[in-house]
Amino acid sequence: MARVSISPQARGQFAAVAKLRRQLFVNSLRTIRGRLELVSRAIVGLGFAGVGFGGAFALGSATAFFVSRNEMEWLALLLWPVFMFWQLFPILATAFTENFDSSNLLRFPLSYPSFFVIRVTYGSLDPATALGSVWLAGIAVGVGFARPRMLPWTALILLAFAILNILIGRMVFAWVERWLARRRTREILGVLFFLILISFQFIGPLVNRFGRGIRPAFGHIVMEVLPIERLFPPGLAAAAFAQGARGDFGMALFDMLLLAAYGAGITWLLHLRLRAQYLGESLSETSARPATPAERSSIHRGWVVPGISEPAAAIVEKEFRYLSRSGPMLFTLVMPLVILLLLRLTPSHSGNADAFLVRTPDLAFPVGAAYALLILTNLVYNNFGADAGGVQLYFAAPVRFRQVLLAKNLTHTGVLVCESVIVWLAVCFIFRPPALGVTAATLAGMLFALLVNLTVGNLLSLNAPKKIEFSSFGRQRASNTTVFASFGVQILVFGLAAAVLLTARSYGRDWLAAILFLMLAAIAFVIYALVLSRADEMARAHQETLLAELART
Amino acid sequence: MTAAAISTEHLTRRFGDLLAVDDVNLRVDAGQFFGFLGPNGAGKSTTIKMLTGLLAPTAGRIEILGLGLAERPVEVKRQIGVVPEGMALFGRLTGAEYLNFVGRMYGLDRETAANRAGELLDFMQLADQPRTLVTDYSHGMQKKLALAAAVIHNPRILFLDEPFEGVDAIASGTLKAMLQRMISHGATIFLTSHVLEIVERLCSHVAIIHRGRLVAQGSLEELRAGVEAQASGALPGGATAKGSAPVPAEKLTLEQIFLRIVGGSRPQAEELSWLG
Repeated sequence: MARVSISPQARGQFAAVAKLRRQLFVNSLRTIRGRLELVSRAIVGLGFAGVGFGGAFALGSATAFFVSRNEMEWLALLLWPVFMFWQLFPILATAFTENFDSSNLLRFPLSYPSFFVIRVTYGSLDPATALGSVWLAGIAVGVGFARPRMLPWTALILLAFAILNILIGRMVFAWVERWLARRRTREILGVLFFLILISFQFIGPLVNRFGRGIRPAFGHIVMEVLPIERLFPPGLAAAAFAQGARGDFGMALFDMLLLAAYGAGITWLLHLRLRAQYLGESLSETSARPATPAERSSIHRGWVVPGISEPAAAIVEKEFRYLSRSGPMLFTLVMPLVILLLLRLTPSHSGNADAFLVRTPDLAFPVGAAYALLILTNLVYNNFGADAGGVQLYFAAPVRFRQVLLAKNLTHTGVLVCESVIVWLAVCFIFRPPALGVTAATLAGMLFALLVNLTVGNLLSLNAPKKIEFSSFGRQRASNTTVFASFGVQILVFGLAAAVLLTARSYGRDWLAAILFLMLAAIAFVIYALVLSRADEMARAHQETLLAELART
Repeated sequence: MTAAAISTEHLTRRFGDLLAVDDVNLRVDAGQFFGFLGPNGAGKSTTIKMLTGLLAPTAGRIEILGLGLAERPVEVKRQIGVVPEGMALFGRLTGAEYLNFVGRMYGLDRETAANRAGELLDFMQLADQPRTLVTDYSHGMQKKLALAAAVIHNPRILFLDEPFEGVDAIASGTLKAMLQRMISHGATIFLTSHVLEIVERLCSHVAIIHRGRLVAQGSLEELRAGVEAQASGALPGGATAKGSAPVPAEKLTLEQIFLRIVGGSRPQAEELSWLG
């Protein structure tokens, strides 16, 4: 187990890492691009601040309401969403998550406890931790407002809860990275996921068959589930608070001890991963076994992609090979299905806004497809990020940059087509087959959105590239400028899409939406082609930025 | 006079206030094994990047095989191979996939690219690990792979930036044999290296760049004669000045020529007194 060292040497090392990060930040401001990044970061930060403080106010008000009514157990209802967000956001939104790459630290005389602390501390500087902490502060303020005497005890519980969240987040990240790095475990995860997906098709028939008996049983199930819920960190934290409020500090301390036990268990699991990293673990998935005679004599001939040049076909093949070897990227490509499953899980009679897909299953395909497109922006907006030093080849080889971009765009289009088919099939399994008009309108809308995203993505890939580590979880983060611009584009695209859909709905014709989307797609295609035709000039103009950012070692 | 394989006129490159390459006029004839030398930060890599289209010059003109690089970049790039500073590798491909990819990028058909990839992997002794990703190769293996990729399209000019750095003696022998074979078939090789013994053994012609300016250019014999003439001319009677080495009776090595041209001595007394 990690024992935190606070020797003067360790303190000096923590300070040195902090200073290093500060210096990297200051140095990044020397360029216009760096300053633009700061502005983008500030604007995105403002958005997060709004969500953070808005959420904190809402949670604080709800807390004050429950505490003033002496309904302390209901705090679990507030802690669960905070907990789920804290753990799921870094995985669902990798664009905002930067996994601290500490491999460079290994060369220094850093003790394992110091390494552990640095990994946990600096790895936790992400929006999920910031928002989670602000929300917990909101809950603390709510308690302080309703019952000031409880504030110290609440602060202690929430501090323990926050630390536990940070540890769980780091632990999940470290293990998911480990599992996705190996082909075998990645396949096992994939099979498990699809088994869960397929099992969902049985929900409908089961509910229909036993539906009448479910309502009386529901209350019973809730009563069964509640004690189980109390065994998890949010339930334990809420229980510790409730026991403390009643003056039963013995039970409250017992709950806190259980929280601490969770902390110890999670720390141990995290320790297993970090210790392996500290000892220089390599997550390479390839074996260095000698070649068999058959392998030596058979060199694969490369893919044929009809209609495009040999270099472009080679790039398409290379892109697909890269994708197939990026566990984290494959994982994010599965996320649209996860979202559909989560939305399906929400009971339709709950009155929750999330249940809208259960009430209006025709929207499931557009929602799933739109999410698939959002996921794809990770790739589209930073086309050269995974190429790293390889980008030099595009400048050295006798190819036009427009060919390179076209090949990458074709790959991404292919991925989106596959994703859309999978989402369509999943919607058929989980909800019901979408109506033909809805399918046509969605596909036309996707075509429009794809062309817009490819156009802006090509521009941003040349203007604001960022080297990404394709194989490591949480190191696929694009530049802040890109993330911010991507937000703007999605607001524009989804705004237009909403306007088109509303227009079509007002006329009661889904087909009208398809036609309108196709017209928009035609305009978007003209702009896309114009940008692509200027790709070589733009690449030359940004050659130094691209090479400096991607080819640096 | 033979045709120039590489020629530059007033080639200049600035990075802000820093003049990295200053008015360089270079000429490399076809079939030459050309060594481009200079101390760290002299402008070697910047020059090679400009010659291969990886960096745009601030001013000046580059011609490769009589074609202007700025005007006809694609035609020029078809004729050249390059191992740049960072090797331009795609780490998440296997060696065979990478060579195949590069071959097709240079316009080879699938069949030819695959066949040459196989032959090159065998030649470079990289065929034993077909499933290993490039990112998991050792540094020396990556160097060999980068060199294999640079020659897969049989270029007429090969640009190599530090090709022997981190390569073991066996691999180094393989590389040298391959380069000599290319030269014997009429190719031109332009290389930078800090290993002056290798340059001396391989190269017929040398240029030395120092603080961005070309300070010497010619065959090894021409450079040697120039340095010797300068030393004896500056100091009649064979006397030597304080701090400069006397001209030895035997032939000057390239290292001695290099140090005399760029001035390599540095006072060592009382420096890093805490070390060791």
